[in-house]
Amino acid sequence: MNVNALVEPAIQLQEITFCKYQLTTVNKNIVLTFPQLLQLRTNINKLGTHDSVCDIIDNDNFVLLFVADKQHLIYLDIPQLLSLKNTIDSFFSPFKSVLF
Amino acid sequence: MKTTAIRKQMTIHPEVMDVLNEQIAMEMHASASYLAMASWCDQRELLNSKSFFYKQAEEEREHAMKIFEFINDAGGAAVSPEVHNVNNDFESLRDIYERSLEQEINVTQSIYKCFKKARSVDDYASELFLQWFVNEQVEEEDTMRSILDVFDLMEGMPLKMIDERLPKE
Repeated sequence: MNVNALVEPAIQLQEITFCKYQLTTVNKNIVLTFPQLLQLRTNINKLGTHDSVCDIIDNDNFVLLFVADKQHLIYLDIPQLLSLKNTIDSFFSPFKSVLF
Repeated sequence: MKTTAIRKQMTIHPEVMDVLNEQIAMEMHASASYLAMASWCDQRELLNSKSFFYKQAEEEREHAMKIFEFINDAGGAAVSPEVHNVNNDFESLRDIYERSLEQEINVTQSIYKCFKKARSVDDYASELFLQWFVNEQVEEEDTMRSILDVFDLMEGMPLKMIDERLPKE
């Protein structure tokens, strides 16, 4: 059995230049500025809370999310939403103070 | 050390930014609460209390703006908060001041939470910024306690007479 075939391609986020970032979803490559990335983080953190996820499951079971100053609209089911939340969390987690 | 992409963009730690955004929401809620209290006093011609609460409402908003600007200046994203559940229904003037003290204590505890977070992630700039708020909260709580002392001392006196002995700001 090909295990890899069952695994959906992960949502990726990478730095392209000093102030440009690229979000790669299942069917889109979206270039983000840093303020747009911060806005995406805020929106995803709001959607990714326990109450919000339960609410999404009880209703449509997916969310449509505007990204990059409303230039893109992305569809996220629950696994994709959680995957994007994890991706953004880990992108922001290796923050280190200059004093280290 | 290799500086990360995020660190190049922002001085503030993302987790501190999150708690400070919560603090903005709390300060704006406090401002709205004080406005409701000012309105209650204004309708009853309690002139000193009215001025006091209008001033408090302004001050809380100034606190929120101070944090708001700090987050953006430090490379983060300040979020304009939604303000829900503002109580406009009070039993008495004393009830209003008791609620005010409770509110100030909650704000103090929330500032401590931000301070603790900044310290735990070594965000020294935010920690220093928050020191002003720590001192400010000591003053705010003291003002409310002093006013409640006046209520105790003047128990049984007419409300207008008590109001005349309360600070305007």
